[in-house]
Amino acid sequence: MTSQLPILVAALVFPGGVFALALGLALKGADRRLAARLQGRVGPPLAQPFFDIVKLGFKRTMAPDVACAPVFFGAPLIGAASMLLAMTLVPIAGVYAPGPIGGDLLVLIYLLAVPGVALMLAGSSSGSPYGAIGFSREMAMMLAYEGPIVLIVAAVALRVGLATGEGPTFSLSAIAAYQQEHGALLFDPVMWPAVVAFVFFYPANLGIVPFDIPEAETEVLEGPLLEYSGRPLALFKVMSALKAVVVLGLGVALFIPLPFTGALGLIGWLVELLALALIGVTAVRVGAGRMRIDQAFVFFLKWPLALALASLLAAAYFSAGGAS
Amino acid sequence: MTFVTRLKDVAARSPWLYRINAGSCNGCDVELATTALIPRYDVERLGCVYCGSPRHADIVLITGPLTRHVLAAAQRVFAEIPDPKVTVAVGVCPITGGIFRESYAICAPIDQYFPVDVNVPGCPPRPPAIIEGVAKAIAIWRQRL
Repeated sequence: MTSQLPILVAALVFPGGVFALALGLALKGADRRLAARLQGRVGPPLAQPFFDIVKLGFKRTMAPDVACAPVFFGAPLIGAASMLLAMTLVPIAGVYAPGPIGGDLLVLIYLLAVPGVALMLAGSSSGSPYGAIGFSREMAMMLAYEGPIVLIVAAVALRVGLATGEGPTFSLSAIAAYQQEHGALLFDPVMWPAVVAFVFFYPANLGIVPFDIPEAETEVLEGPLLEYSGRPLALFKVMSALKAVVVLGLGVALFIPLPFTGALGLIGWLVELLALALIGVTAVRVGAGRMRIDQAFVFFLKWPLALALASLLAAAYFSAGGAS
Repeated sequence: MTFVTRLKDVAARSPWLYRINAGSCNGCDVELATTALIPRYDVERLGCVYCGSPRHADIVLITGPLTRHVLAAAQRVFAEIPDPKVTVAVGVCPITGGIFRESYAICAPIDQYFPVDVNVPGCPPRPPAIIEGVAKAIAIWRQRL
């Protein structure tokens, strides 16, 4: 179906690296543009995030005296590198399939946690009290949303695994391939609670209003990023752009891979990603206020967790009953 | 050389703004935050965004007559802004002291303490004037990159 790319090419050129970075920055640009339009403004050029990255390259890099320099400058590197690698694990239906080891969902879930950890390291090593607050909030958010995503993934793995009769499968490319053949899981009523849970999960993971609590500008002055300037800050911007592509790509692979191949598959994938970003991120971000950390924490342990669990149990029950 | 020049032209399209309120009455701050720079007149067209941290800033907007109480803190925050940076004095207070000019408690004019590049007079300045000031600051900033 698809050719296997060497991992270095996959990480640095396509679908990771250059391709994912350009895509992530373009998504960010589209997001800012649409947000401006929704607020009745003209908005920045679509390429604004590119300008920002280039600009940060020309700024002086400063570090606080009290910062632990190796960790302070290492955190953005680790975060960006983890996302480059994670991008090689996300299949693009009909276009790119990761290798059998690389395509493992559990590895991807672990890698998805690394940017959060990098932000926590950044906040705690900067020596700034705002960074420390950002650190504690980031940790609380991670505790809140990691549970639901693991259950969502387990539900999908169980559903697909029982349907194919091979037991739970954690191969993302197998999941995408199954859906290409049998229809997307988005149209499977058993998976609807998990889809809703995922819709709550990805703004939280990407740190977007109403869940941008760790980096709230007006409260904790961008929290972990407060003390960063110049190139390390640019690396964090790169990391979040890549992360947007990885998380949205994961959503597409889990629930709505298109039954196309080749160029049509790639274009369809890009359209899906753009739609997810504009509807799930921009519209929500413009229309909602920021939650408090305690509200968000309780919210995630209540609704997305329950929804994901419902999907998991339903997947186990209905498949066992032979209803699928 | 030309490649670097081009990159700098691109970089100049992303000026991030930071406000320092040096004892202002908030009149200019209201003009900055809600009128001139966010919804109606939209400087995001020029690539500007407000940043919460001085470390991310490129263009500094200083309002207020610089009270003695805030002098040391304002200088410290200013020093935290990485080069290259441009300073804009917004309102008449940072330029002459405005209605506070005879007061013992202020240090205006602020160019005794900060390298002011652009002055935007007014009490408070009109939003188009502030945007013109920011545009001039961007031109100066391009030279410094």
